[in-house]
Order: sequence, then structure tokens, then C-alpha cells
Amino acid sequence: MGGCFSDVKGGKQAVGGAHHQERPINRDADSNDAVELFNRSRGVFPLHTSLELSLSATNLLDRDIMSKSDPMVVVYVKKGHGKLEELGRTEVILNSLNPVWIEKITVSYQFEVVQPLIFHIYDVDTKYHNVNVKTLKLEDQEFLGEGSCVLSEIVTKQSRRLTLNLHNRSGRRGLRNFGTLTVHAEETMASKSVVEIKFHCSQLENKDLFSKSDPFLRVSRIVESGGSVPICKTEVVDNNLNPIWKPLSLSMQQFGSKDNPLVIECFDFNSNGNHVLIGKLQKSVADLERLYKERSGVNFVVPSSHGHEKVSKGQLFVDQFNEKQQFSFLDYISSGFELNFMVAVDFTGKQCVVFSKCLSFPMYLHDLILNFLTASNGNPQQHDSLHYIDPYGRLNSYQQAIMEVGEVIQFYDADKRFPAWGFGGRTAGGPVSHCFNLDGTATGFEVEGVQGIMTAYASALHNVSLSGPTLFGPVVNRAAEIAGNSLFHNNNKYYVLLIITDGILTDLQETTDALVRASDLPLSILVVGVGSADFKQMEILDADNGQRLSSSTGRVATRDIVQFVPMREVQSGRISAVQSLLEELPGQFLSYMRCRDIMPLTDRAAQSSAPQL
Amino acid sequence: MTSRHVEITVISAENLQSNRKPFKKNSFVTVRTDAAVSTSKLYRTAETDCEGSGPRWNEKIEVELPAQARNLILEVQCKNGARTIGAASIPVSDFIGGWVPENYLHFLSYRLRDERGVRNGIINISVRMKVPEGLMSTYARKVTSGFATTSSQTKVGYPAVENSGVATGVPLNWNSYPRVQY
Repeated sequence: MGGCFSDVKGGKQAVGGAHHQERPINRDADSNDAVELFNRSRGVFPLHTSLELSLSATNLLDRDIMSKSDPMVVVYVKKGHGKLEELGRTEVILNSLNPVWIEKITVSYQFEVVQPLIFHIYDVDTKYHNVNVKTLKLEDQEFLGEGSCVLSEIVTKQSRRLTLNLHNRSGRRGLRNFGTLTVHAEETMASKSVVEIKFHCSQLENKDLFSKSDPFLRVSRIVESGGSVPICKTEVVDNNLNPIWKPLSLSMQQFGSKDNPLVIECFDFNSNGNHVLIGKLQKSVADLERLYKERSGVNFVVPSSHGHEKVSKGQLFVDQFNEKQQFSFLDYISSGFELNFMVAVDFTGKQCVVFSKCLSFPMYLHDLILNFLTASNGNPQQHDSLHYIDPYGRLNSYQQAIMEVGEVIQFYDADKRFPAWGFGGRTAGGPVSHCFNLDGTATGFEVEGVQGIMTAYASALHNVSLSGPTLFGPVVNRAAEIAGNSLFHNNNKYYVLLIITDGILTDLQETTDALVRASDLPLSILVVGVGSADFKQMEILDADNGQRLSSSTGRVATRDIVQFVPMREVQSGRISAVQSLLEELPGQFLSYMRCRDIMPLTDRAAQSSAPQL
Repeated sequence: MTSRHVEITVISAENLQSNRKPFKKNSFVTVRTDAAVSTSKLYRTAETDCEGSGPRWNEKIEVELPAQARNLILEVQCKNGARTIGAASIPVSDFIGGWVPENYLHFLSYRLRDERGVRNGIINISVRMKVPEGLMSTYARKVTSGFATTSSQTKVGYPAVENSGVATGVPLNWNSYPRVQY
């Protein structure tokens, strides 16, 4: 009965390899299980890279009487509540005020979170030398200085090196010169090489009774203990003894070196999970490359019951073998690629008041209609409106979304000038506009910094009356135009449009058309839903279920550029919904760059041809 | 009227069906324009086997695009050319004009419809206009500031190549443009 209820289709998908540039979630206990589950159910795994920090310092304070200080660094990351969590410690360097530490601190770089780092330097007393640094009690050591920065500051520099001025614990330097600390970040990935291999087989043995085998391949790496660890598997090809699979991507990190032996097994898929082995063989990546060049096949072997192996007629061929460099998101960013942030705020609200009063609808119908027409934005002066600006400073949902997303992205935007628009509102008694400048001016559509967006938003609430209907089309088109136009100058800018909305789209098809047109541009769209409306439509736009958006002209979206999160779903978690929005962003960025073979800037100098668009 | 040249890479197709069952046989794709000119040519890719989810041709074809052409017509044909599994009509305006530079590499996907007009899968292609040397950045536009609502409407056809100095514009297909413009 196993076949009836299990996810057979899911079981037939290709798994693993370097294909998606995704790694399993490896967060600490602080992370929110609900958000993780939410993300995993959408098939989204966070992009986080392991970085190694190398530290060195100059002009440290001299605390020792007879000799110089013996410094050591402890690195912390500041968590949500100001709590400091220790990431690691360097070794102790003897007798130096300009130490260069060897021990590297590993930190997991997460794009979607602001990661403030704190560095404390201590002079370790002689009696603690030869003791494992981890056991040192810091209160017993002499404090030499503190430095702080945000992790994104380091990675967005081309040299990935940042020098901090040290100060004392209270943040002040006073008259003393505490020296400087230099932090250098490197990714721990062994190599950026990725090999893309396309396999096909011929004359496989038939293991199914009434039809043919449904074969798939599984590639494993042999480990020192003698066993094997699976790296990836292909998708299942139904009912075929001469299957051709989609190409597999293997990163050098996964297979080690090109001469490491890999085990390739061919199974017949059974929906009850008991896949039957058709044959297996052992080849290294270098062997596979040779098979490709010679265009020859290699036979599978089948372990027989007598203990020795039988050579089968089934053969494996390598149709394609591509070795290429796969750059990570950080490679692009530190080489000068930028993310440009744009915001659009929903100013729709009760617009049918006059209409329904004129027609003297009964009160309850009146309320029904208003509720239907995105009434949750309501009157911004009232407490229950989503646009209510609290005089005590508590941020409303719109402000929260702007702050959280803006704070992270602003590091990646060089000039910190953000286009900001409103839609669905009526400015200065004019007609309803579906894309008006948030700062109220006719000419400037850009504001300075996240603070500029907040100011423009607050003032817009005074000058713009909420109206309707809710249309994303014009704002998406405007953002797409900006993204497209930037390609005339260079192609190292990627645009991110944040749309904050409280309600239901009036014209889903028009929005879909605009999104399909924008899907081939360097643009990603994050939609945050605030309030309590039913956002089922938005989930269609999100297209995470695999259904590509389809426009009214027959064109289908090239890629999924929309990510939607309702703000209320993760209200009390320490990781906000907005962070889960931003997790998909590096992946969308990479998919755009990679399919056009756009490489990080420093590598282009080596190429003679003009950059492709 | 001169013709332009466009490089089309027919990449792959997915979710093709034949007689309500997944289509697994060899197939090829023909490309032509809808210009009613006697010089209108028919191009085709090589045949390819069907992979896991659909055929993958990955073949680049250089197509001559007459000035009057409004659409490119792509048809996925069964091995012996007897049947059209699915066809798609691609408006030329989807890769000419728009907000991007002329020689932009467009990755596009379209719904295929079979002979009876029923939907049958999706075809993935990439398209790049061939631009004559020296005319590349003629259309560099500044990002329009001003009322964000007035998006640049100046859609231009072909660059002024002829000696007469007159720009030959091609009226573009506006079906794909939004109805509501502010």
C-alpha cells in the first residue's frame, strides 16, 4: 500500500549535487522552527556560506611590564536582544603588539540577517600559556580593546578586508590609542569548480514485470572507512531501458579531487521505496571525462548471489562533460555587483463610502462592501488602521517591513538612494495614481537611505488620501523599466522591489502580465502582506508550487522572481517573516547571472570578449 | 525594407503530450516568420530524443526577420514531420524595443498549442537581435525621473541603417503592453 500515499513524484526528483547551490539548514538553537518549517515546505533552503575570518592587529596596548602583551582575540556575534554569542577565539601570540593570528574564526554568513560582530582583544597572562584557549576565563585576562563592525561591511569590500579602530568597552577611545584590528574574510569552499555531466545508459536489464524498468542513477563518494556517502541522484525516467537523464552538477567540494573514486549505481525505481539495483560501477571524475572524450561506454557490474560480480550488458555513457567555475553570491558582491532597493507602499483604502451612502445601502451591506474593498488600511489617524503612525514610536506593519528589508539590503546598495513609490492613493485631490513618488515631488522618485523612505512615507500619509483599487502592474512596470534601462550602462546591478500591501489584487491578470514581462530582467520582487486579509492570490504569484506564471499573450515567466510572505504568519518568532523573504534573493540573483554567464567583475579582465547581457 | 537578423536558440520544451500521454518520441522544431513575403524561409533544428521532462535541442539558428514580420512561429514537430505537437506564436515586440538594450539576450518561454488549439506544454528559447557594428548604444536612455507614471513610451523599431537617413520604424505589437498606463 506504500504507493498510495507517499510522495512518489517527489521521490522521483533529482537530488543533491551542486545544482541548486543550496545547503542544509544549519542554524543554532536560536532559530525559529516555524520559519524553518515554513521555508522547507516551500522547498526553500537558506543560502548561507561559511566564512573564515583571519585577524591581525597593530599598535596594541602594552600591558606587560617586562615584555609586550600576549594578545588573543575573542569574536562574538550580537544576537537579537543584544546578547553576545561567542563565535570563536584565536590562539595566543606571544610578545607582540602587532600580531598576526593563524587560527581562523568560522562564521556563517547569512544574507538575510544583519550580523553585528564584536571583537575583544585580551592580553593573556603568562600563567595561562600552554592552556587551551577555550578554557581561559576572560575575566582573569587583561582587556586590550574592542572593535565592532557588521559582517556585510567586510564582504562587500573588494579586498574583503576591513580595518577597525579599537576602543575601550564603553565605546570611547579617550586619550589612549588602542590600536587597530584588521579582519579578512574568506569563503571556506575548497574550490569553485563545478562539473556538469550528462549520462545516458543503454541495454539496461528489465526489472519490472509488466513494463520496463524505471531507472535512475545515484552517485556516491567513497569515504575512508570504506563505506560510501551519496552525493546526488538523477531524476527517474519511466519505462525506459535506454534512458537519458538531465545533466548532473557536482562540485569539487563534493567529490574531492578528480581522481577520487565514485560509485555510480543504477536502480529501478519502485514507488514503495524498495528500489532494485540494476548495476553499479566505480569511476573517478577523471575517468568519466575520458569516457566522454572517447565516446565509449562502460559496462555495469551486478553483484551476484555467489559473491563474485557479473558483467552486465547495460552500459553507461557520458554525453556531456562541462567543467566550469561556479561563483557564489559573495564573489559577485565583493567584486562590485550591487543590489538596488526599491519600495512601493499600498495606499488603498475605503473608497466606496460616498457611493454606497448615496445608494442608501443598508448598514450591514455597507460594511460588507467596505471589508471587501481592502478596508483594513482604514483611516490612518485611527489606531486600528495598518497605516497608523504611533506617536510613541512603535512601528506599524508597513514601517516594520520597510525597516527590516531595507536594513539588510542597504549594505549592498552603493549610493543608498532608493526609488520609493505609493500606489492606489489620491494625491492632492487629483485622480487615483497607481505609481506616485512617495516623497510627494514630481521629479524626484528617489529618497536617501531607509530613513528617507520612512520620512517620505509618514509625510505621504498626510498628503495622500487612501483610495483604490489595488493594482501592482504600474509599479512593477516602473521597476522593470529602471532595471532594464540600467543594462545600457553596465550589468552589475540587480534590483529588488519591495511591495507592501494589505489586500487583494483587483486585477490578477494584469499583475501577472507585468510580472511575466519582468521575469527576464535583473529584478526580484518581494511582496509582504500585512493585516489579516486572505492572501491566497499572492501564493499564486509566488509560483513556488512549480506553476510558472502565464501572461495573457501566451508568454510564460522565464523565472520565478516573486517571493511572498504574510507578515502575520511569523508574528512572535525571533526570525521575522521578512528574513525568510530575503533568503531566496541570493538564489534568484545567481540564477540570473549564471544563465547569462555573467561573471564577477575581476574575472572579466581575463576575458577578451565584451560582457554578455 | 531591409531585414534584420536574429539569433534564436531553441533550448527545450516541457510537458508535451500526445494522445493524452506524455510525448516521448523524437522531435524537431521549425521556425518561420509570419511575414507574407516570398523570401520567407523555413528553418528547423535537428531532431533530438526526449529526455526526462522533454526534448532538449540547444540549437542556435540565425533567422532573417523581414521588416513586416510581426510574429515568429515555432512548431514542435514529430519525427517524420507528420504532426505538429505544439506551436507558439512569438510577437516580435517581446524582444525588440522594451526597456533593454537592443542586443540583450532574452530568455523567453511560451505556451504551445496543438492543432486543435489545446494547450500542450511550454517551449523555452533565447533570442538575441544581431546589431550591426557601431550602432550599439544609439538608444541609451536616461532613467526617466519626473512623475514616475510617465514611463518612456518611445519604442523604436530598427536603427537608421539606410542611406536615406530615414528611420524605418516597425509598428510593434501592443497586445502585451498594459492597458492601464499612468
